[in-house]
Amino acid sequence: MDPEQINEFVVGYLKKKGFSSAAKDLESYHHQNNNGSSFTSVDYHNDPELTKLIRSFSQQEDDPTRYREGYSKLRSWAYNSLDLYKHELLRVMYPVFIHCYMDLVGKGHTQEARAFFNSFRKDHEMVHLRDLQKLEGVLSPSHLEEMEFARSLRKSKVNIKFCQYSYELLLQYLHSTVSTLMLGIINEHINFQVYSGQPTSSSDDIEAVTIVGSFQDTANHINQKEIQWGLLEDSLEDRLEKTGGLLSDSEKGQGESKDGDADDSKKRSTEIGKQGSSLKKLKKDKAGNATAKVARLETITVSPAPRVKPELALPVMSTDVEQSILEDLRNRVQLSSVAMPSVSFYTFVNTHNGLNCSSISHDGSLVAGGFSDSSIKVWDMAKIGQAGSGALQAENDSSDQSIGPNGRRSYTLLLGHSGPVYSATFSPPGDFVLSSSADTTIRLWSTKLNANLVCYKGHNYPVWDAQFSPFGHYFASCSHDRTARIWSMDRIQPLRIMAGHLSDVDCVQWHPNCNYIATGSSDKTVRLWDVQTGECVRIFIGHRSMVLSLAMSPDGRYMASGDEDGTIMMWDLSTARCITPLMGHNSCVWSLSYSGEGSLLASGSADCTVKLWDVTSSTKLTKAEEKNGNSNRLRSLRTFPTKSTPVHALRVSYAFFTRINSTIL
Amino acid sequence: MVTKESIEVIAQSIGLSTLSPDVSAALAPDVEYRVREVMQEAIKCMRHARRTTLMAHDVDSALHFRNLEVSSSSLLLLFHTVDPDFDFFLYSLPLAPKVCGSRELLRTEIYTSSMTKMSSSRMLSKLLYQMHLLMHLFSHWLAIDGIQPSIPQNSPLQAISDLKRSEYKDDGLAARQVLSKDLQIYFDKVTEWALTQSGSTLFRQALASLEIDPGLHPLVPFFTSFIAEEIVKNMDNYPILLALMRLARSLLHNPHVHIEPYLHQLMPSIITCLIAKRLGRRSSDNHWDLRNFTASTVASTCKRFGHVYHNLLPRVTRSLLHTFLDPTKALPQHYGAIQGMVALGLNMVRFLVLPNLGPYLLLLLPEMGLEKQKEEAKRHGAWLVYGALMVAAGRCLYERLKTSETLLSPPTSSVWKTNGKLTSPRQSKRKASSDNLTHQPPLKKIAVGGIIQMSSTQMQMRGTTTVPQQSHTDADARHHNSPSTIAPKTSAAAGTDVDNYLFPLFEYFGESMLMFTPTHELSFFL
Repeated sequence: MDPEQINEFVVGYLKKKGFSSAAKDLESYHHQNNNGSSFTSVDYHNDPELTKLIRSFSQQEDDPTRYREGYSKLRSWAYNSLDLYKHELLRVMYPVFIHCYMDLVGKGHTQEARAFFNSFRKDHEMVHLRDLQKLEGVLSPSHLEEMEFARSLRKSKVNIKFCQYSYELLLQYLHSTVSTLMLGIINEHINFQVYSGQPTSSSDDIEAVTIVGSFQDTANHINQKEIQWGLLEDSLEDRLEKTGGLLSDSEKGQGESKDGDADDSKKRSTEIGKQGSSLKKLKKDKAGNATAKVARLETITVSPAPRVKPELALPVMSTDVEQSILEDLRNRVQLSSVAMPSVSFYTFVNTHNGLNCSSISHDGSLVAGGFSDSSIKVWDMAKIGQAGSGALQAENDSSDQSIGPNGRRSYTLLLGHSGPVYSATFSPPGDFVLSSSADTTIRLWSTKLNANLVCYKGHNYPVWDAQFSPFGHYFASCSHDRTARIWSMDRIQPLRIMAGHLSDVDCVQWHPNCNYIATGSSDKTVRLWDVQTGECVRIFIGHRSMVLSLAMSPDGRYMASGDEDGTIMMWDLSTARCITPLMGHNSCVWSLSYSGEGSLLASGSADCTVKLWDVTSSTKLTKAEEKNGNSNRLRSLRTFPTKSTPVHALRVSYAFFTRINSTIL
Repeated sequence: MVTKESIEVIAQSIGLSTLSPDVSAALAPDVEYRVREVMQEAIKCMRHARRTTLMAHDVDSALHFRNLEVSSSSLLLLFHTVDPDFDFFLYSLPLAPKVCGSRELLRTEIYTSSMTKMSSSRMLSKLLYQMHLLMHLFSHWLAIDGIQPSIPQNSPLQAISDLKRSEYKDDGLAARQVLSKDLQIYFDKVTEWALTQSGSTLFRQALASLEIDPGLHPLVPFFTSFIAEEIVKNMDNYPILLALMRLARSLLHNPHVHIEPYLHQLMPSIITCLIAKRLGRRSSDNHWDLRNFTASTVASTCKRFGHVYHNLLPRVTRSLLHTFLDPTKALPQHYGAIQGMVALGLNMVRFLVLPNLGPYLLLLLPEMGLEKQKEEAKRHGAWLVYGALMVAAGRCLYERLKTSETLLSPPTSSVWKTNGKLTSPRQSKRKASSDNLTHQPPLKKIAVGGIIQMSSTQMQMRGTTTVPQQSHTDADARHHNSPSTIAPKTSAAAGTDVDNYLFPLFEYFGESMLMFTPTHELSFFL
């Protein structure tokens, strides 16, 4: 490159930046030293790209229309390219689009930025609707700085997998059209991972969908870590399998009463209450039928989950509880596509949009609801079952029903929070209720005393969710402050703080072996954290909107997560890969639950349906079909529409739990 | 979205009249950014409250997170100032949730309505606030062993169709096998009771359940064919026929059952029970009651499904009229036909029965007389038919008189004359009626004038009338007098041809028709 040319560039650059006097000085200086060229040649002489880049600096840069022209040219070129390479080339469009927009905003061309954004947003709305909605509000350079999402986009590079030929096509185009602006953006923000061979089919570009940039690398790195997803050794299930479900097992269980490492997350009911309600009786009848034997055989054929040691000191379980668990495990029926479960549906009426959350105790006898007026109400379904058998006939005089037969309210009112209650869950034996609220506190209530026991303060923002560990004693909470915390019931300070999510942590769930918790977040990822170390051990990327619900399969191998759009994803914990997305719901999936053996997945949604998914058949099928390179979907077994009732919470083989809008009745 | 003009408006509303254009231009994008930010937080709150409707307190708590003291109502107020079409603005925000009419919102809307000139209908719809009922919780089975039971708590029709479709698809079984076991038992029991113990309370309860249970749709084809078969078999068994009719009626009344596709099977059986020659074997069997009952069933069916099956009503009436006009048919058949038409409505009677009344009565009267008809049962039947006809005609008359009171005068005069000679031979009456017909138009025209005359003459004739009655008639007269120009014309236009058949009624039935005239009209005769 000519030194003269360089001089030209430098002068042009200075002028453009407003240093006109400096430019003049430099010019005159150069005129003086015209003969003696003091510049030494640098190695960028033979780098044409750099030349262009440098040239672009000296050009009149603040012309906003260039972005539009450049982008629309690139767009029409990409859309008119060969079908085989088209989808790969189109992947480039989205990052280029958002960076063009942010460049425009960053340079203060608000009007042009908006016009640009609106004219091309249709292309990307299908996949990136939420991101676009976020970015739409960014209108000034200061917003770019302030908004975390925009900042992370600016900082990081997008990884795009390209086949060799597509890459060459793109480069060729950019060079031939001398669109330095586009080239600059692509160079700056896209990281091509070129591979040789034919382009991949368009279906499996899940990774191309989410722009996470360098985040992807850390995710990949984190996902290399080893996790022990197996069940706890010497759990009650374990013992039951060894003894083959003989009746004598109960005596054995008594002998080993000191052992407390029971895994009761797998069973359907923790405790068969002494005051058996009609509801529970029905369950037991069903549980006692002949399919039990078939179930046992099947569980043996499936390769058993590996056993791991607990990393936490787990609470000791009382003999009575253990007894009842064992009893229940023996009675358990294998649910499958052939043996479908029964669904009992609890409906709240006249909530006036006040019901925020609800949950069912493990034995199905208690129902708790958290309300936006900061109250928690607990119903004993056994009592309602006795008193209100005729309640269904007389829907009109509901005022009578809510007052019990003794003139008392039919529910227990728990008051203490000072903001909307966002979650209320039962401890596994059903003797405690844990609630979290917008007042940033978590409260522990006793269902026996009907009183508040502890108030846990630690979060700085509303606590969205709180969940007991499968053994009780420990619990996890997650909050708007982007952290999840682990607590034990006897301490008012959190034991661990899990920080790492880029947005609100919306839901939390324990792994059956208690060593991990999973958190779903508004940053569209699900993370798995080691409880002992507090480190993130898995990042699951693939959702397109905020994750609202999580469920762990009872064998600890899989995890299901449901999002705001109605997509449910099944993840393999060890590989951090999505087995298959479950499409079917068309609104928020608010609750997910596995059946006792992990063969069925139930999902409840705002679209007023409960769906059952056959999980076993599909996972087997995927294995078979992986060879063919096909991705298949899990089979949706049954859909149970409700009467315009959004489904709030569910527990498999127990009740699916809902609220009904008061306008309906 | 937020323009600098709207910033200027807001500034003026808070008392900043001198805002430089630069400032407002700089503020506008920032305001929009902040509002969007707050709304995003609010939507998070909405999601965590498990709602799909954004409420004002969501915005409140979102503001609270940011330590802002602004209340959502002031924010909404801002929206209104920014954009009078407030909803549109909110819908353009991310996720576009519906905005619910909560109390805060309501307050703002009332407050802002003066500024934005909100339409009054929209205001009213917002004002209708929910009634406060106490909350309650109840439970039901959404599914039992994976099958959704058809109970009122579950969403009704879609569920059934879904279930059926999936089952047909899955195993392609024959229709009968689709029936669940409980439904099969239900069907067997109900049919058994219908044939054996139709009087029992058990059967009555079964009928009640047939009438309201939503899950019976799969049984409809079986019930229709059952009814059709058993009616043919048991034409001489009155209790069974009655039970079958009750069964059919219950089934037809069930709102959850789609019986339309089976109506063409069911209706002939029902019509049979209405106009069959013999229903029941013994003379003690009260087949008249059965016919009455069936007639009302037919009528209700036609009323309910008439709009779906356009030819249902015409077909039913055709068969009824056919029976009625056929002199070779037995009297019970005529009776059934008449009752059927009466149940179908007075218009049927007016257009189909009354025009044929004269000739028919000529046939009927001999049957009623002791001298002509020796058989006791047949004579009884004839009297029943006569009664039915009389009631039908009388009700027609009543309705007619109620709608057009002025028409009363001509027939009353004729009745007045012929009142005493009911039993006299008919020939003269035929003549009189034809007389009437010819004289009608002029009579009508003078009707208004005549009424006053009539009432006065009546009073003269009945000198014994008491004072209150007198005043009543006076009031009547005045009443007739005032709208004198309009009322007669319209009524005359409405039903001249029908009226032609109404007037002879008094000749056919005589004094007994008086029972059917509206009470205050009766004052003419007193």
